[in-house]
Amino acid sequence: MKVEPAGAELLRVARASLLESLLPLLPAESHYTARMVANAIAIAARELEQPSTAGAVDAARLAREIREGRHDAGEIAGLLREITRARLAVSNPRLLAPVDKR
Amino acid sequence: MTTAAAAVATDRPGVDRRERVIRFLAQAAQASHVEVLRWERLSGGAIQENIALDVRVEGGAFAGEHRWVVRTDASSAVSVSHSRPEEFALLAAAHAAGVKVPRPLWLCDDGAGPAFFVMARVPGMTAGHRLVKDDALVPDRALLARELGENLARVHAIAPPRDDLAFLGNVPDDPARERVAAYRANLDALGAAGVNPVLEWGLRWCELHAPAAWPAVLLHRDYRTGNYLVHEGRVAAVLDWEFAGWGDPREDIGWMFARCWRFGRGERVAGGVGTARDFLDGYARVSGHMIDAAATRYWQVMAHIRWAVIALQQAERHRSGAESSLELALTAHIVPELEWEILELTQPA
Repeated sequence: MKVEPAGAELLRVARASLLESLLPLLPAESHYTARMVANAIAIAARELEQPSTAGAVDAARLAREIREGRHDAGEIAGLLREITRARLAVSNPRLLAPVDKR
Repeated sequence: MTTAAAAVATDRPGVDRRERVIRFLAQAAQASHVEVLRWERLSGGAIQENIALDVRVEGGAFAGEHRWVVRTDASSAVSVSHSRPEEFALLAAAHAAGVKVPRPLWLCDDGAGPAFFVMARVPGMTAGHRLVKDDALVPDRALLARELGENLARVHAIAPPRDDLAFLGNVPDDPARERVAAYRANLDALGAAGVNPVLEWGLRWCELHAPAAWPAVLLHRDYRTGNYLVHEGRVAAVLDWEFAGWGDPREDIGWMFARCWRFGRGERVAGGVGTARDFLDGYARVSGHMIDAAATRYWQVMAHIRWAVIALQQAERHRSGAESSLELALTAHIVPELEWEILELTQPA
């Protein structure tokens, strides 16, 4: 039986503690590392909550077929977009925000 | 310096190295004496490091005070001693071609220790995130963008064959497809970590859409914001020549324009600091070549593929245990945004 709070929630609160309580106490030269740690925690939390990828595409096969020129017509553009969208949801969800502020 | 310097205790390698540099400089500058005013490690990695050196030279053509940079292989580095002489040759070629670079002075490749060279120290700032934001640093963005274009055109005026740059290897006949083959080989070498349908899509697109090749010229191959010094709003020096090689000149422009090097200022296509128009105007003024939009788009796709491949390689260094590092591990997570940009750029018009 699962014990609450779950992993993702623990990571979220750990990250908030790092940024709100610890970061202000760190010397400036350590801020970059602290922000990298915070970023890593955020990515791990999002990954835990990522929907199961069971039954997802066979990436190796798709990659090989694309290289062989079997998808040149571009019919897979939508599928590729979905693959990257799912990866962005973990790595950098800001890019998926409705207003593109890149 | 006196010959007594040679007797410096060997358990002080830092001092040893410094004595070796100063002894060499005194000889190279035909000085009667070289006094060190400052010797300070500026930056460096596992492979090379930069040392700020201020000196007062007595006697010879260089009499007076100077601010120099000593670029050397790190003390711990092994068998990379050829890279400093090559870099010196590139710097000398660029300097002779009128590119803004730190003036190269002398190379020491005597085999008695790691090779090093000495160049002028140029004032200025490289920090991309500040150059794109702070208008006080770049009061005239059109001017800076034009100068960046002009400088790159001067790099591209260096064409093969060149005996002094023979170490750059073969000149590709079809640089675009040669790049595609190289990146595919890089992905294959990564094994499971290199399986990526979107990068494959980008590579296939590049294979199918390559514009007619231009004659190969010298490419900087890392010409981007962060790798040039800006002083009083102008280009003071182009740095970091270690990736230079022969290729299609438009590859460098695609790298400069790639969204991943705009430091969050997506609307400023030229490295986050200026417009594509100003950059390309400067480039055309010196080279006589106007670069069309299809070519810049093509080489931006290639730039994102290249950065993604490098990011995957860096992440693999962490994953494989070769070099455990949070920074390397996180690098893998920039790949999806590069994929996103590749998909955007390769959409049918």
